[in-house]
Amino acid sequence: MNFDLTWRLLKGGGRRGMLGTWLTFGAVAVATALLLFAVAANVAFDARADRSAWRNPVAAAQKDAAVAVEASRFDYVGDQAITVVDLAALKPGAPAPPGMPHFPAPGEVWLSPALSELAARLPADQLAKRYPAPKGVLGPEALVQPEELVAVVGHAPDSPAMTAERSDDWILGKPPVKVATLAGTPSEDATAYQVLALIASVLMVVPLLVFGGAAARLTVARRDQRLAALRLVGATPGQVIGMTVAEAVLVAFAGALAGAVAFGVAVPLLARIPIQGGTWFVADLFPNLLILAGVLVAVPLLVGVSAVVGLRRVVVSPLGVAKRETPPGMRFVRVLALLAVLAAFPLLTRGTSVAIVAVALGLAFLCLNLAGPWVVGLIGKVAAGTARRPARLLAARRLVDDPRSAWRTVSGVALTGFVAGFLGLLSPGAFGGDTGPAQLSVAAPVGEVSKVADQARDRLGRAGITATVKTTKHTVVAALGSGADDVVVDRARTVLSDLVPGHTPTTKADDQRFGLQILADVRVGTIVVLSVSFLVAIASAGITAASSVLDRRQTYALLRLAGTPLEVLDRARRAETLIPMAVMGGGAILVGAFCAIPFMIGGISTTGVVTLLVCVAAGFGGVIGAGALSRPLLRSVTDDPAPRPD
Amino acid sequence: MNDVLVGRALAKRFGQTVALGGVDITVRAAEAVAIMGPSGSGKSTLLHCLAGIMKPDDGEVHLLGQRIDAMGERQRSALRRTRFGFVFQFGQLLPELPAEENVALPLMLGGVPRVQAVRQAREWFPLLGLHQMEARRPGELSGGQAQRVAIARALVSKPAVVFADEPTGALDQQTGQDTMRLLTEATRHNGACLIVVTHDPNVAAWCDRTVEVRDGRLLAHGVTA
Repeated sequence: MNFDLTWRLLKGGGRRGMLGTWLTFGAVAVATALLLFAVAANVAFDARADRSAWRNPVAAAQKDAAVAVEASRFDYVGDQAITVVDLAALKPGAPAPPGMPHFPAPGEVWLSPALSELAARLPADQLAKRYPAPKGVLGPEALVQPEELVAVVGHAPDSPAMTAERSDDWILGKPPVKVATLAGTPSEDATAYQVLALIASVLMVVPLLVFGGAAARLTVARRDQRLAALRLVGATPGQVIGMTVAEAVLVAFAGALAGAVAFGVAVPLLARIPIQGGTWFVADLFPNLLILAGVLVAVPLLVGVSAVVGLRRVVVSPLGVAKRETPPGMRFVRVLALLAVLAAFPLLTRGTSVAIVAVALGLAFLCLNLAGPWVVGLIGKVAAGTARRPARLLAARRLVDDPRSAWRTVSGVALTGFVAGFLGLLSPGAFGGDTGPAQLSVAAPVGEVSKVADQARDRLGRAGITATVKTTKHTVVAALGSGADDVVVDRARTVLSDLVPGHTPTTKADDQRFGLQILADVRVGTIVVLSVSFLVAIASAGITAASSVLDRRQTYALLRLAGTPLEVLDRARRAETLIPMAVMGGGAILVGAFCAIPFMIGGISTTGVVTLLVCVAAGFGGVIGAGALSRPLLRSVTDDPAPRPD
Repeated sequence: MNDVLVGRALAKRFGQTVALGGVDITVRAAEAVAIMGPSGSGKSTLLHCLAGIMKPDDGEVHLLGQRIDAMGERQRSALRRTRFGFVFQFGQLLPELPAEENVALPLMLGGVPRVQAVRQAREWFPLLGLHQMEARRPGELSGGQAQRVAIARALVSKPAVVFADEPTGALDQQTGQDTMRLLTEATRHNGACLIVVTHDPNVAAWCDRTVEVRDGRLLAHGVTA
């Protein structure tokens, strides 16, 4: 019966009533799509970790259980890394690696599609000669991402490549290990990316949850008058709650479904975001059905719970929503909670458990969310105290009146701003420094350094490459001179590729590649998170602005009748979002940038600064634009010359 | 030249409905005029046309000899802000602003510095029996107190004409009477005209004369007091 009445009221809400419903629907759809994206990021990195696990061998528990020897290392061409997996069967019938029909026989080479295509395209002495006569092309199961460069090379178990000593530094590769299966385990870098993805998700999910809750309150804001009237005619609190939850959940479920569809449509575009040196397999970005169902249930539930919380006052008293009183001041304990968590943060993050770090981070963000409205209220008080013009005064008073609403709009930007500011200025030079003239270094076995150096001189000489070969204690260094370009370097790499079995000749830039790659990826991730935060802020600003116009249409109309220019009302609405966003978002970005100063060894990254500025300008522009979208609505409600009948 | 506001042959239609069918009305200096009539009679439409809120389809409106119905929206908006004051039934105060800032708002909109605007606004509070109410927000005021704040806001910029649309419609009888007394006294004290739209004879009784509107036409002119 409640459901029937709810449905009738929902349908009979009129155009403006339906507008509120549509706004809630839109807000939930945006929140769900972005929430699925935040979840999908973790799923995708998990999928990548699983995909790369087979190249990260785990030693067989029992010696006689071993079926193969496996090692991996990185080779390079141009500025791209090639993952080389060396395999040797110890027993007949060794299992086929992922993406291959059988275990590679000694001497067999299999290349990934991208590497195969590159080898065919470049002159043979730059790449193809390193992997002669490939037997076949690896299937997608063997790859982390579609354009990945991978080579699988078969060896005999006693071949030098499988027996020579190798570094156990995981950045360089994995030394030969006797394995019972090729299942492997996620590599250290994959785990690092999983942790970063989790942090990014926390950064995105907290504002999204806050935003989802705000969407519910939008329903309540539309309905509170009607529900208070229902209470006045005798509806029980249970009936009021039931109807509100039914309506909010109904709209939210429809919104969540639309959001899931929007996410599905956007996945091919999201798959083009390059991380770890390449784009994504589209299938990796789709969360499984269980997660999808979880989100589709959780979002309407969250909206329902928020609706109940928002309706508390109506339920407590039928007159509760009718009176607007001075809101009780935010308690300073909110800030104390944040300070307590920040004080405990170093202790919480001391443990190596990813889960504890994520929980600590989530806790810090939640406390920041608690303290945020307090700070917004403070900003409002300061702005109200100093306001000289009516628009600014109106905006400031609104901030003091409802700091939570303003915080909902800017929270994401404020939370991400620090990270964006920190990374925006950070130059790759901070991790690298000058790589100097081109030279290739390769580790040589103890006692064979001179012999290897002689072989290097001989090979380079025969290939017509001018180089000065020197030795250090364990390394042979071929200096190619300042005139050597990428082509010469790649030719030299090819010539020296099997100089020391199992070891790759590398340049200084190659050695820094992992650090540079992870910095670049963190920067891409930051831009993605900042974009999501701005999207939330934009959606939130648009919805808040429209909702505010609808809520206060009578006051706005009467003010306009009394001669208040539309521009003043519009400027006030704009300032209401921009003041806290500029102070909190801009402040967070500046503090982040300030904290990055000690790390700017290589000077300021111009690209980083430009990217950050473009991102911030687009975000601020979007927020202003979203608010401006409701200007026609403001005009239409204030154009109504008869605020009451007659 | 005693005429402050003059409406000549004012006509307004909404589709097939005739809201005003050629109304002539003159309001003289410091005069209080009540416009009465049943619901749908056109009294609010007449007020909106006289106040420059709405353009009549036909006829003219003059304020102190200056024709205002031909002005553009921006000019009429500025005119309403500077020369007119408004008191409505309810919902006119901004809930976030304390009472004194609600009153100061028209001055600030006119470019008066905030400190001066608030100081001028505060002067109205004791005059209207609103002692110690300056910092209260509308939600913390009774209906009668909120209407007195609205009266202060209507008068603070020293308008030539104050328009009141059912100013006591949401108040009980006694509070309504008190509000009307304050409204007429303060308006007269300010040297402004007062035009009150009402369907309540007790409210109309506070005005100098009453005009009655029926089906978009003036029926009678009468001196009330």
